[in-house]
Amino acid sequence: MFPMLTLLSMFYYICLRRRSRSGTRSEVLNSRRAMESSQRSLPLSVEVEQYAKEVLDFSSHYGSENSMSYTMWNLAGMPNVFPSSGDFTQTAVFRMYGAWWEQCASTPLPFRRTAHSFHSQDYIELAFEEPVYPTALEVLETYHPGAIVQILACSLNPFSQNPPADVRWEVLWAGEPSKAVTPQARQFSPSIKQINFATNLIRLEVNSSLLEYYTELDAVILRGVKQRPVLSLYKMPLIDICDLSDSEEEREAAEALAGKSSTGNGYFDKLPYECYSSHLPSKPLSHDSSLIQLIASHLTLPDLCRLAQSCKLLQQHCYDPLQYIQLSLQPYWARLTDTSLGYLQNRCTLIQRLSLSWTGNRGAVTATGFCSFVKACGMGLVCLELACCHFLTEGCMEVIAQTCPALQELNLSSCDRLHPQAFAHIAQLTSLRRLILYRTKIEQTALLSILTFCTKLQHLNLGSCVMIEDYDVVASMLGARCRSLRSLDLWRCKNLTERGLTELVTGCRLLEELDLGWCSTLQSSSGCFLQLARRLPRLRKLFLTANRTVCDSDIEELAAHCPALQHLDILGTRMVSAASLRKLLRSCSKLLLLDVSFCSQIDARMVQELSALFPAVSIKKSFTQPGRPAKLSNRGRRTLAREQRERGD
Amino acid sequence: MLSVLSYGRLVARAVLGGLSQTDSRDYSLVTASCGFGKDFRKGILKKGMCYGDDACFIARHKSADVLGVADGVGGWRDYGVDPSQFSGTLMRTCERLVKEGRFVPSHPVGILTTGYYELLQNKVPLLGSSTACIVVLDRQSHRLHTANLGDSGFLVVRGGEVVHRSDEQQHYFNTPFQLSIAPPEAEGAVLSDSPEAADSSSFDVQLGDIILTATDGLFDNMPDYMILQELKKLKNTNYESIQQTARSIAEQAHVLAYDPNYMSPFAQFACDNGLNVRGGKPDDITVLLSIVAEYTD
Repeated sequence: MFPMLTLLSMFYYICLRRRSRSGTRSEVLNSRRAMESSQRSLPLSVEVEQYAKEVLDFSSHYGSENSMSYTMWNLAGMPNVFPSSGDFTQTAVFRMYGAWWEQCASTPLPFRRTAHSFHSQDYIELAFEEPVYPTALEVLETYHPGAIVQILACSLNPFSQNPPADVRWEVLWAGEPSKAVTPQARQFSPSIKQINFATNLIRLEVNSSLLEYYTELDAVILRGVKQRPVLSLYKMPLIDICDLSDSEEEREAAEALAGKSSTGNGYFDKLPYECYSSHLPSKPLSHDSSLIQLIASHLTLPDLCRLAQSCKLLQQHCYDPLQYIQLSLQPYWARLTDTSLGYLQNRCTLIQRLSLSWTGNRGAVTATGFCSFVKACGMGLVCLELACCHFLTEGCMEVIAQTCPALQELNLSSCDRLHPQAFAHIAQLTSLRRLILYRTKIEQTALLSILTFCTKLQHLNLGSCVMIEDYDVVASMLGARCRSLRSLDLWRCKNLTERGLTELVTGCRLLEELDLGWCSTLQSSSGCFLQLARRLPRLRKLFLTANRTVCDSDIEELAAHCPALQHLDILGTRMVSAASLRKLLRSCSKLLLLDVSFCSQIDARMVQELSALFPAVSIKKSFTQPGRPAKLSNRGRRTLAREQRERGD
Repeated sequence: MLSVLSYGRLVARAVLGGLSQTDSRDYSLVTASCGFGKDFRKGILKKGMCYGDDACFIARHKSADVLGVADGVGGWRDYGVDPSQFSGTLMRTCERLVKEGRFVPSHPVGILTTGYYELLQNKVPLLGSSTACIVVLDRQSHRLHTANLGDSGFLVVRGGEVVHRSDEQQHYFNTPFQLSIAPPEAEGAVLSDSPEAADSSSFDVQLGDIILTATDGLFDNMPDYMILQELKKLKNTNYESIQQTARSIAEQAHVLAYDPNYMSPFAQFACDNGLNVRGGKPDDITVLLSIVAEYTD
């Protein structure tokens, strides 16, 4: 009976496949005919060239939320800087570069079985006026080019009221992370794949890990034709076997087929299989089966799904919940839907670490779908990554708070559409160790209640949280309640003063990483940085970016009290001299990164000199090209430096 | 929905226009600029519209025309800081704000405020201070909205007479209100006014009104009657003749500025303050001359 059924359904499947293929084949023939006819006539359509009209979504940026300096919104419209090179406010800059951030303790471990081809760290989505069949795409990179690793196009028109039945993302170009030879501007024009739909929604994904400094993007030009180009059809895209949704339905059929019989697998049946989900992980496994499991544990998720289709035994191995202890669906953001989450649900009953970052946008995953998954699988969750998940609602947060009592890590980075009230539920997750709230709309009351109850917090990111009214209150609460805090990111918090900082460093003596970049209300003259240096002997990373008041005595105090210092950023201060930097470099032998960009007393020659003396340290000195107003500032700086030298002599 | 709204607006405007007999056409500004740096490099326009330490911009957006002038405070040169960097960056930032539509035409102080806070967002530790004057023409409502901080300013001339002008804001003689970013060690010692302190006004303009926006280099050297005399020569609204007039005004002011025997408005004002001063006031001069014309796309 069963072999019969197997045979029948296989036949049915083959027929289905054949039909779909023959359908496309006739299309190809048609298109070939069309092309032949078009070759006789004049070209049908003209190429349209357009700059991005609007920035729809992005994962991070350097600038302030309410500013136009170094923010992602600068990527819309005409170029502002190109063809000049340099570090300019008018460009789009991501929050990170290099490997500095990966070295930090606050960075979570990478997920196992992440595809080697997935490099993306950040993304930006751009809408263009007119949907076109892309013929070329150019990115004007004006500073430290080479970060772009993937360019995708979407079938959805963001300006249209009626969305298409299926939202498809097609990769136009993909490459490895790279680094240009010089930081000079370049026009990046990869040869892109032709696609069979018109698009006006483009997504760039970047990886800045190899770069020497922040990459800066000025504009994106999309070229394309409005009418379907015949040539593009001629190059029929191959049927994508990696397509998760495709394999899904097959797997469904396989599931239906599997039944309970154990025949039909040939020699594979001789391999042992135990149902591990009933075992405790500590119980020793039999050798052969553990070998299969071990092999399977190295596969990427699509490979695992494909392997499951090969035979029933392997299917059992591949569906074993132990294979899904940790699962990152981030690389498959474009294909993940409620349905695919539903399929995974049965396999993920033992899941501990889950990343849904970037997934589910534009309705692919709904709040309901997510909630039912979390309700089914969330019990054991320890780590939940939800960066840029715009499907999240207050209800989702409530479900997380209720079903994941063991949750230790929660990442809500750039969930900027999540309602402020939703964050109040986080306070119920009392075992939280790591909480990322970068670029969210969390409000003070919610945050204070989180800090009251989640006293085990070790890593907290409050970067660019614009809705918090008084950071001093937050900082003193941290000092009072979260004594085990090891890393704290207060990037661009608008009103932290010495009062809050003092209470913070008095309470949280274990702090290793402190990001106070662009906290311009901190005044060095109050002695707050001196105190910070004295109270935090374990300090490894300190960012005082663009605090214009940082001075020599602060640097000397760091040199004297923070021997573990690895990363220091003092960009944009006029008050730090080469002498104190020398002292710092001498005493902090573990130093790896020192950003002295736009420090007017430290010129390029000095940086060269120091780099030669301390080759282990990467000393950064960003520049704005001559010919721009910055040239004047250079001159000004030089005069000032000369004056000081004269005064010193 | 949108189209319903826009039709509704059209109808409403037609009805209102019929009732109050106002002009339903859109106005715009035809503007020319001219200026001189103090150091005799005649009319040298540095990148980004700078004359000496002065800076200016002319920008347009779909609903408004916007002009601005800024006068970088020269005293910063003693600190090794180029004063034009501050005024130039301020004006360029305001220009970008306008071009990207990040402003409300009826709230020009907002342009100044946002522009100033953007300067603080620059990685480059900018230093300096500047006066600033922003003039916005709302094309549809025909209203001129202005914000002025310090001693730059504007005149609206109609039928050969000054019908509206900016007020000068000074702390004391020759020390205007100014936006500034001071080095930490000089904080408190440097005059710094909030951009919100800018004096704002609104004024209904008519076709043919002349708007002269300039830095104190002009107003300190040329009294109103001389400016009006020059403006009389302006006969039509094409760009060339405006440019010519702007040039002749700037040139005349420039000549007067270096005339040691000329009793300039500045010298008169100094005498009123008990200082015995004669002659013109050598300074950077920036002149933006605009005429209210019918809007043509």
